[in-house]
Amino acid sequence: MTKAKDPGTGYEAARDELVGIVAKLEAGGISLEESVALWERGEELAKVCTDLLDSARQAVAEAESPAATD
Amino acid sequence: MALETSAESPAAVRTVSRLLSDWIGRLGGIWVDGQVAEFRRRPGARNLYLTLRDPDVDMSITVVAGVAVIGAVEPPLAEGQRIIVFGKPEFWTGRGTLSLRAKEIRAVGLGELLAQLARLRELLTAEGLFAADRKKPLPFLPRRVGLICGRNSAAMHDVLVNARERWPSVQFVVREVAVQGVQAVSGVSEALAELDALTDIDVIVIARGGGSVEDLLPFSNETLVRAVAACATPVVSAIGHEQDAPLIDFVADLRASTPTDAAKRIVPSLAEQAALVSSLRTRAHRVVVGQLDRESQRVTDLRRRSRTVVLNAISSRESEIGHLSARVRTLSPAATLERGYAIVTNAAGVIVRTPDDADSALDVRVSGGRFTATRTSS
Repeated sequence: MTKAKDPGTGYEAARDELVGIVAKLEAGGISLEESVALWERGEELAKVCTDLLDSARQAVAEAESPAATD
Repeated sequence: MALETSAESPAAVRTVSRLLSDWIGRLGGIWVDGQVAEFRRRPGARNLYLTLRDPDVDMSITVVAGVAVIGAVEPPLAEGQRIIVFGKPEFWTGRGTLSLRAKEIRAVGLGELLAQLARLRELLTAEGLFAADRKKPLPFLPRRVGLICGRNSAAMHDVLVNARERWPSVQFVVREVAVQGVQAVSGVSEALAELDALTDIDVIVIARGGGSVEDLLPFSNETLVRAVAACATPVVSAIGHEQDAPLIDFVADLRASTPTDAAKRIVPSLAEQAALVSSLRTRAHRVVVGQLDRESQRVTDLRRRSRTVVLNAISSRESEIGHLSARVRTLSPAATLERGYAIVTNAAGVIVRTPDDADSALDVRVSGGRFTATRTSS
């Protein structure tokens, strides 16, 4: 099992890799084992992306909160 | 012609006075242009005295003239009036005082003054003092504002009140000076120099209310105009005038029509800026949130698609296996055995197809299992 990407690599890099994985899956012609492996990798990347998006939303909410505008 | 003196052989007062009187008398008759700073009309006196002042700087001399000379001036002499005097400098030995003994005095008429002004304007234009590229831009928000205005004037009030209304925390440094008359040029010039020297004053306003052409003459004075041109801090002129603009309007970095107008142009509007910031924040918020929404949607979509591909791969393989198993089953002997057939093999392990293949020891395989059998007859 490959390690999840560290947050320092950036949102766009994770998302672009996920896009690549889906393209490969949809192109077909790959073994079942490889499909499952790719899908698992995609899920890891999706989690990284979702976590980064959630952090970003959190940061925006904090910056705009009444406490931050003093 | 030097006078030789020493501590041991000093000169007498009369000697000094006579010599001075001599030297000064040699200057002869001259025409002098100046402004009447002080004029005392003493009834019955044969000689009248007036102070003639340089309009630009704080220097003056006493002019003495006979009643007839004074009387010939049209319009009658008054303080503040510009005059030209033809006279001889005199040193009066009786008291050791210097004065200009006037033979003729003429008032410099308004027309003449305006003509001088027009010539000065041409001169300064030719020098490039009024050029647009000389004008310095005003700061967006000055740290402090210098204000030169008349004592307790409406102009001062207008500038302060209107600026504070627009940007409440604006800081002013005010210099109240004479804004007309003989002290105006030096008063304004000194205040200008003082305010220009203060580093945190980012703009200077010179303001006064409307007045007659004569009243506004100081603001067309060459010394004052050049001082404004040389000023390092941006200068706003807010001199109320009906007709011709005073020359300061041309040399200033910004010309305001009134003191109130100046107040509105030296500071930004707090309300406007707050509204601008608020709308920018809203727009930024919208952009960021929109981007986050789009990306979330995209990630969800990608996950769904990859899941679909994998599940399809699995289920297509499942149905493929199902088909293959069914075919294997139909092809295998198990179905035939279930129908009641038996496979008989002889001792050699060969499947019995004819009676000759069957020897005595036989192995019988049926659907439910196998057993041995013995051949009894042919």
